[in-house]
Amino acid sequence: MDQEVERGNLSEEIINKSSESDELTERVKELNCLYGITEIVKDKEIPVDDALQRVVELLPPAWKYSEKTCARLSINGEEFFTENFEETPWKLVSEIKISDEVVGKVEVFYREEMPEADIGPFLKDEKRLLNAITELLSKFIEEKRVREELKKHRKESVQGEKIPTDGPSGKRDWEVIIELLMKTDPRTLLRITRKMVYHLYRTQNRKINDLLSNVCPIDRGPGDSQWCGINMPNPRQDIESLKRVQEQVFDVAKESIPSEEISSLFHRWLREDKARPLLLASQRIGIPLVEITDELNRFFETTEGSGALAPEDSLSICSALTKRFFTDRLEFINIAKKYMMVDDFVPLLKHVIGPAQGAGKLGGKASGIYLARKIIESEMEKEDILEMVDFPKSWHITSDTMMDLIQYNDLDEVIHLKYLDPNEIRQEQPFLEQIFKNAVFTAEVVEGLKRVLRDLEGKPIIVRSSSLLEDSFGAAFSGKYKSLFLANTGTEEERLNALMNAMAEVYASTLGPDPIEYRREKGLLDVNEEMGILIQEVVGERVGDYFFPAYAGVAFSRNEFRWSPRIRREDGIIRLVTGLGTRAVDRVSSDYPTLVSPNRPELRVNTLVEEQVKYSQRYMDVINLKKGIIETVDACRLIKEYGDDFPEIKNIVSLYEGDQLKRPSVLTDYHNSDSVITFAGLLKDKKFLEAMRRVLHTLEQKMDIPVDLEFASNGEKLYLLQCRPQSQSQKMERKPIPLDIKKNRKLFSANRYVTTGYVDNIEYIVYVVPEAYVQLESRNEMERVARVVSKLNQELPRRKFILMGPGRWGSKGDIKLGVPVIYRDINRTSLLIEIAREKGGYLPELSFGTHFFQDLVEANISYLPLYPDEDGTIYNEGLLTMSKNRLGDLFPEYEDMSHVVRVIRASDLIKGGTLEVVMDGEANEALAYLKPPDHWVWRMEKVHEIAKELDADFYEVEALYVLGSTKEGTAGPRSDIDIILHYKGGEEKKEKLLSWLDHKSRQIEEENKERTGFHVDNILDVHIVTDEDMEKRTSWACHIDSPYHSAREIPLD
Amino acid sequence: MAEKGFNAYKMAQAQFDDVADKLDLDESTRELLRKPMREYHFTIPVKMDDGSAKVFQGYRVQHNDARGPCKGGIRFHPQETADTVRALAMWMTWKCAVADIPLGGGKGGVICDPHDLSDREQERLCRGWIRQISKNIGPVEDVPAPDVMTSAQHMLWMMDEYEHIEGGKYPGAITGKPVGHGGSLGRTEATGYGVIYTVREALKELEIDITKTTAAVQGFGNVAQHAVELFTEYGGKVVLVSCWDQDDSKAYSYYRKDGIDLEELRGITDRYGTVDKEKAKELGYERLPGDDWLKQDVDILIPAALENAITGDNADEIKDTVKLIAAGANGPITPEADDILEEKDMMVIPDFLCNAGGVICSYFEQVQNNMNYYWPKEEVIGKLDDKMTSAFYKVMELAKRKDIPLKDAAYMISIDKVVEACKLRGWI
Repeated sequence: MDQEVERGNLSEEIINKSSESDELTERVKELNCLYGITEIVKDKEIPVDDALQRVVELLPPAWKYSEKTCARLSINGEEFFTENFEETPWKLVSEIKISDEVVGKVEVFYREEMPEADIGPFLKDEKRLLNAITELLSKFIEEKRVREELKKHRKESVQGEKIPTDGPSGKRDWEVIIELLMKTDPRTLLRITRKMVYHLYRTQNRKINDLLSNVCPIDRGPGDSQWCGINMPNPRQDIESLKRVQEQVFDVAKESIPSEEISSLFHRWLREDKARPLLLASQRIGIPLVEITDELNRFFETTEGSGALAPEDSLSICSALTKRFFTDRLEFINIAKKYMMVDDFVPLLKHVIGPAQGAGKLGGKASGIYLARKIIESEMEKEDILEMVDFPKSWHITSDTMMDLIQYNDLDEVIHLKYLDPNEIRQEQPFLEQIFKNAVFTAEVVEGLKRVLRDLEGKPIIVRSSSLLEDSFGAAFSGKYKSLFLANTGTEEERLNALMNAMAEVYASTLGPDPIEYRREKGLLDVNEEMGILIQEVVGERVGDYFFPAYAGVAFSRNEFRWSPRIRREDGIIRLVTGLGTRAVDRVSSDYPTLVSPNRPELRVNTLVEEQVKYSQRYMDVINLKKGIIETVDACRLIKEYGDDFPEIKNIVSLYEGDQLKRPSVLTDYHNSDSVITFAGLLKDKKFLEAMRRVLHTLEQKMDIPVDLEFASNGEKLYLLQCRPQSQSQKMERKPIPLDIKKNRKLFSANRYVTTGYVDNIEYIVYVVPEAYVQLESRNEMERVARVVSKLNQELPRRKFILMGPGRWGSKGDIKLGVPVIYRDINRTSLLIEIAREKGGYLPELSFGTHFFQDLVEANISYLPLYPDEDGTIYNEGLLTMSKNRLGDLFPEYEDMSHVVRVIRASDLIKGGTLEVVMDGEANEALAYLKPPDHWVWRMEKVHEIAKELDADFYEVEALYVLGSTKEGTAGPRSDIDIILHYKGGEEKKEKLLSWLDHKSRQIEEENKERTGFHVDNILDVHIVTDEDMEKRTSWACHIDSPYHSAREIPLD
Repeated sequence: MAEKGFNAYKMAQAQFDDVADKLDLDESTRELLRKPMREYHFTIPVKMDDGSAKVFQGYRVQHNDARGPCKGGIRFHPQETADTVRALAMWMTWKCAVADIPLGGGKGGVICDPHDLSDREQERLCRGWIRQISKNIGPVEDVPAPDVMTSAQHMLWMMDEYEHIEGGKYPGAITGKPVGHGGSLGRTEATGYGVIYTVREALKELEIDITKTTAAVQGFGNVAQHAVELFTEYGGKVVLVSCWDQDDSKAYSYYRKDGIDLEELRGITDRYGTVDKEKAKELGYERLPGDDWLKQDVDILIPAALENAITGDNADEIKDTVKLIAAGANGPITPEADDILEEKDMMVIPDFLCNAGGVICSYFEQVQNNMNYYWPKEEVIGKLDDKMTSAFYKVMELAKRKDIPLKDAAYMISIDKVVEACKLRGWI
């Protein structure tokens, strides 16, 4: 069957090509014909002969010159004609085949000579139609025949029921089927036979064993080795011979299984066999979109759906389709196959746009939310509260659409831009974006997009990037690629252009400097980024000229921002705003989302009335439908203006009266009240929180990973927009805070909002002095600090430095709050520290829940807030401000910034040492301390010192080896230092040598005592070996190339 | 606080000792007034939402009630120390005395962080506090009010619990209640208006016509706005107000030579007191750095926002045109600055006199509660004017007579009043 036969597609196409009106007429005719024939063949009651006659009569109207057309259908010697039939030289023929055997044909004639067309006077499409019709007929006739045989047989068996034993003439229906299949479809029969063999094996039928071992000869003689199947291949049995004993198999079956059971098995298998084309298609790697779509549609149209699938086939198809459209990641597939059914793909693919012949996927964002949807839908049955959860209308653009666009427009050079220097990329980005915006999408994609727009008419839409990398490599590209809102207003053409424009921009963002930088760092640069696109309807209500959701936000199943010790990480957290969720996702200076712990909503971040008022949302993001843009508006003004028309108003605001916040009532006059966004009503109501809690819990549990959700609500339903793993979830080992650190080695400690982590071997501390930073007088100077940090980030060894600075790193608008860096300015640090010096009890909002924070987590950059004014914390300001500043050495041109930016080398603070920071989230404690060089490093240095100082010629020492704990790197503070000396001299010199070494040993002992506080007697453990020992490898010489405790030679100077 | 070397209680005692020397008080009087008369320390067991129980530490300090029932706030603070509370209770005694209202000084609270408590838990905590102390407080003994991290809601819970225990209606047991639930009208205006009543009288003393004066006000919150309102009503001209800009996290001053128009400026100010920069410019206001408020050629400065607004470092920048400084905020002038201002011969109305409007209105609330009769706003404001004016003159009179700064006079008057009450009662 050709794809056009699928009615939905066909009608779409007809509409799409509306300009070519001639063709349209022809196609409508075709459609009518196919409709008619489908109606006939679906009718199970109609006798075959009548059916065929009616089919023949339906043919002529579908041809271009209908008046002059006649047709004949011949099958198994019987013939059916149209009334006006006459044989002429101008004909089209198509054969009716059943199991590759020609059983008849359909012929269409023009009764007069007609103008030349594609195939003689006929059109290509007409030929195609005819083929489709014969194919339909083949199926119809085959089914009809089987059905009639069965009917006949059933009648017989009803009579035979009185005599349970099978009479020689009374055949069972399955026997009829076998006979039929032998004649028509031996391959299917063979499959059925195999299924029967499996079935018999499963019921441990001995006869089948005997039968198979008798008839299927084993290649090699049996029993020639007891190793068979263990360390030797099992002998091969010639299963081909099965064909020859099919009848015997069924005889065995007949003997051991009740006939009714065989019959029902047969029905099931035959039914399941219909899924074969789908099964095969789904397993084909990279099967084109159009083919798999057709195969699915065909399957669901011709059968009663997934009920006709064997469970194993269903799983197999499902996991193959998951791989094809979502991801190869096994973790995903394992979960997906529990929740996704084959049926689900039919509606899904109706919402997929892409090159018909392409093999693109839907991308990470689409996969995440789709799986979440399936999980929630399945849980809805058990949990009533989840019924308020819904998902917005979504369309998907496959990932290969981008490559298709690139190739169609000969833009292949853009792919290689990623190898350029980041600065060059930055310069080229605006031009690149324009290149994409000027590119032309292929007609099929454009047609698809028109369908999207028709479906989402009247609703604003959001175009989201859905990257494949994001999904498969555990990398968070969030915020690096664009998500764009469209008002979706205007004429269809305007809306289409806006949509294509947005898509182009999303594509161009793939090649932007930030994502490229991030990919470079992650080692993903050489993987071609393929970007799927997810188009969603924006959830919301129209209020005046504005469109926005009553409330929206992000939710995390793990709370990494605990404002009270009574809140656990597992309680999760919600960042809630009214209007578009953008204000909850992004950090917005001087405006505040409401933070809620879904498990402890009563524990609020702000408890006092004035706090609640001050730290409330002031602005909201909305879509201005009139102007067709997204806008930030004064929330209070909007509430005053629209009052009761504002969706869910009574659940969103509190009224600020005197010193109190009151819940609004029915009597409230919003136009003349001072409303504060508190969500008091929403949070009191419990329904929203209960749903949120269930959603977070369910998704975390079922996906087996903490999740991060975006949601929005129009007041009635809670829509989930996005679901992805909350990247913090890497299980980091908990390391206890060391207790034996001397006070003067402690740099700082923290006891609030500590997340588990550990960084060591830090060589540099970059310290932006908070007091000096806030005193900078111009924005320019603050931005200069950011540039210095960026430079240092490039220059200092990766992950060997930490950044400490005031307030919020990455501040944008209000940069007095923190250094205005972007992610790439800090991406090589190992720890980012925000120092919050208390100002009037104000707790600065931490860089939490933002794209930046997730970047840090993904990049394994730890984050730690410091509250130096907090009691019980250590903050060794002296070490930070008094030690040598290396900034001038590194960048003389920035020497004037030395009072603000200090670059401190750990080894300046402690000789040869490094900084180590241990963070224990469980205990909520962190400690940074200076660490002297490791004991073994120090001991090794001492050995080198000996090698250098030892007068080898004088003492006749040939070689020096080190072994034991010093060499293995396991030495502790009390370990000795084992060395081997290959000595060539006599006894007298040996005495001198030993005395020299003894002296050296005492020196080292003293140094060690100073370092560690431990005294070790004879710290230098010297073993002398002679030439003879060396030759025979006796005494300690045996260690020199021992595979177990080998010694390492230290070159003598 | 103690660890860092600063102890509020020791400081308050030192201040008292200083005044006691000036008043030549005897040893037993000093002994009595240097310490609170009574301190209650008690535990408050609270059933938490999760079913567990938690025990909080509550306290109430009654410094002196010779002049009437104690008056003072209830603080919820995690790092509260007994010494801070003792100091604050003592200050309340002086403040009530200088305003000449028949009340003593008290302070109390609970060691807790309301951020860790749900509303229900806070309610149980409030009720628990009352249960433990109800015998020792009440309309005729000690009247709590809201303070750090406590609100009108907490007061209502407390009042309700008190009434349950006492078996009657005692709205006067607690002040700071919302209007309509026992609160007094005029409370919003009280502090700001009070500041201007003292300014008005001070100008009379300085023989300056208020209609010819100009003023610069630091702050644009509740106190500042009402001060500007009344000052303008009296014919004065405010040429500058400063405010905190939440978007830029810095303060700005808005200046207009012809004087600011309060209603106009209020119209472009959000409820956080941030003035819209753009609109202000359109209306002809010049935007200056926040610190510029004290550098203006004006007659009067009103710091009505922050502590330590005038310090030893910036007091010299005050122009010689300034004749009067009214401390509307709490502690806006540091002791070093006080000295410099005295040298410059500028009159300074001390904070605990200047901003006493608030506590006077609390007293009115109590009075109305006890009568169960509520005055119209004009009556409250009128009575406030009387109280403020007479309090100011008592201080002024002494300052003139002894040729001492108003601040010293205010302390001496208030302590003297308390001493007198103690003596007349035959305590000492």
